[in-house]
Amino acid sequence: MDTKVKISKGFQYTAIAMIVAGAAVIVYSFIANPGRAWANLLLNNYMFLSLAIGASFFIAIQHISQSGWSSMFKRVPEAMMAFVPYSGIIMLLLYFGMKYLYHWADPGVVAADAVLQHKSPYLNIPFFFIRMVLFYIAWMVMTQLLRRASLSEDAQGGMMWFEKSEFYSKVHIFLLAVTFSFASFDWIMSLEPHWFSTLFSLKNFVAAFFHGSATVVLIVIILHERGYFKELNKSHMLDFSRYIFMLCTIWGYFAFSQFMLIWYGNIPEETEYFALRWHSGFKVIFYVNFLINWFLPFVFMLPQVLNKNIKVVKTIAILLIFGQYLDLYEQIFPAVMGSPIFGITEIGFFIGFAGLFLFITAKALAAAPLIPKNHPYLEESLHHHVH
Amino acid sequence: MNNNHIIGVFDDEDALMEAVHEVKQKGFVIGEIYTPYPIHEVIEAMGKKTRFTFAAFLYGLFGALGILAFMYYTAVIDWPVNYGGKPTNAFPSFIVVAVVITILTVTILSLFTFSARAKIYPGKAYILPDARSTDDKFVMIFDKSLSVNNSGDLEGVLKGKGAVEVYEKELKPQK
Repeated sequence: MDTKVKISKGFQYTAIAMIVAGAAVIVYSFIANPGRAWANLLLNNYMFLSLAIGASFFIAIQHISQSGWSSMFKRVPEAMMAFVPYSGIIMLLLYFGMKYLYHWADPGVVAADAVLQHKSPYLNIPFFFIRMVLFYIAWMVMTQLLRRASLSEDAQGGMMWFEKSEFYSKVHIFLLAVTFSFASFDWIMSLEPHWFSTLFSLKNFVAAFFHGSATVVLIVIILHERGYFKELNKSHMLDFSRYIFMLCTIWGYFAFSQFMLIWYGNIPEETEYFALRWHSGFKVIFYVNFLINWFLPFVFMLPQVLNKNIKVVKTIAILLIFGQYLDLYEQIFPAVMGSPIFGITEIGFFIGFAGLFLFITAKALAAAPLIPKNHPYLEESLHHHVH
Repeated sequence: MNNNHIIGVFDDEDALMEAVHEVKQKGFVIGEIYTPYPIHEVIEAMGKKTRFTFAAFLYGLFGALGILAFMYYTAVIDWPVNYGGKPTNAFPSFIVVAVVITILTVTILSLFTFSARAKIYPGKAYILPDARSTDDKFVMIFDKSLSVNNSGDLEGVLKGKGAVEVYEKELKPQK
């Protein structure tokens, strides 16, 4: 039984058309308005990277907890991890856009600013890129090891690769905790180098896990609708939606804690962050962010009538992908652009990156049998039943 | 009153579940099942449903809305005080209290609901057919008067499905 996903011609052309259309807008916007283009590049690249990292964290958690129910879906997060190296190449391009995005990278600004001088041993261009390369090496090595272990398990069987996957996963979540935290500090938080929040990395890490898991669920549902994953049943849906439910609550907890503590403490150097996000037109986004990323998943994933329903879960998962965009828009755009702008540039960038992500994920998904063969818990997963 | 029961003791969950399905199919009426830990399949096999989760949701809703209304009334309507220049309706800080009180409300009201529905109260005389069900054994009991039908003997069925022990006992409430 070797079911491989067949990528239809239509899908391939659509993805390539999305990439080409996106690339055209991207090139144009770099000529017309480089600052805005760099903000979009950072947003979209970080967003799809976070989905891939979130998926890798999802699969690592499954390995560590030795989950039976999810073992037949493990190719989906594995395929999503394939985006990491591509995002690394794009992220390195930030070198050419430092002066548009990060004002700590401007020597003239730093010379006149005591705080930035104090932070300059950490926030300087060479060290910024050394860290970036180290992070990407860690992620690429770990995701490759996990993927290879999974493929070797298919080929050889036995318990060895199962145990190895668990070990790699433990290393992976440890590395992620350090690297992804600093990555979010470096790339997103240092857009406003005077402001700092220790909850920031936790919130972004959870957001990656949250939206990465939602994307895993969405891809599984889409494949099910296309005739793959025939074994997907109500019990799987219940477990998937429990993930979304649990993560939306953790996301809400961190996002709210960060806001509430700063609001209550009322210290000017901290409140400037939210002051910017409450005025100049971002206030609606602030509330809609909580609505999409916490309230709607919380309400819709609560009753079992809704959270076992494939259509409802699919709608929520699609909504959450836009939720991640909105969350990052709210973090990046006030800092770089100062006012909410949304137009053809934003749409073009998103379509281009979405096309690239879909293309790479689909290719990786088609490269290996969709259902792993020798996973010890495969039977349990195929006949998963919870009460 | 004859309160004699047939008691089957099992070593593990799978043997118990097989026996449960078997005796149900043969038409015996299961009196009660005692397990060391909750098994959802048992609840399902006994034909029982629970609306407990919905009750818990209602308690949560009541707790959250109740405490928010209470804080709004005390801090804004009845006794507005200016704390450090905050608005009297300091809504974000209310949420922390609301979360904690909601959890407390749900916990306490669920405990009372469960106790009332299961008729458990302090000092109750309880029936425990086999004390080992609080340790590592799975115990199924049958009312003796209902345990005879034309599908053969109950003891044989239980033994056949892996019961480690089957015996008869008169159940008495214990203090």
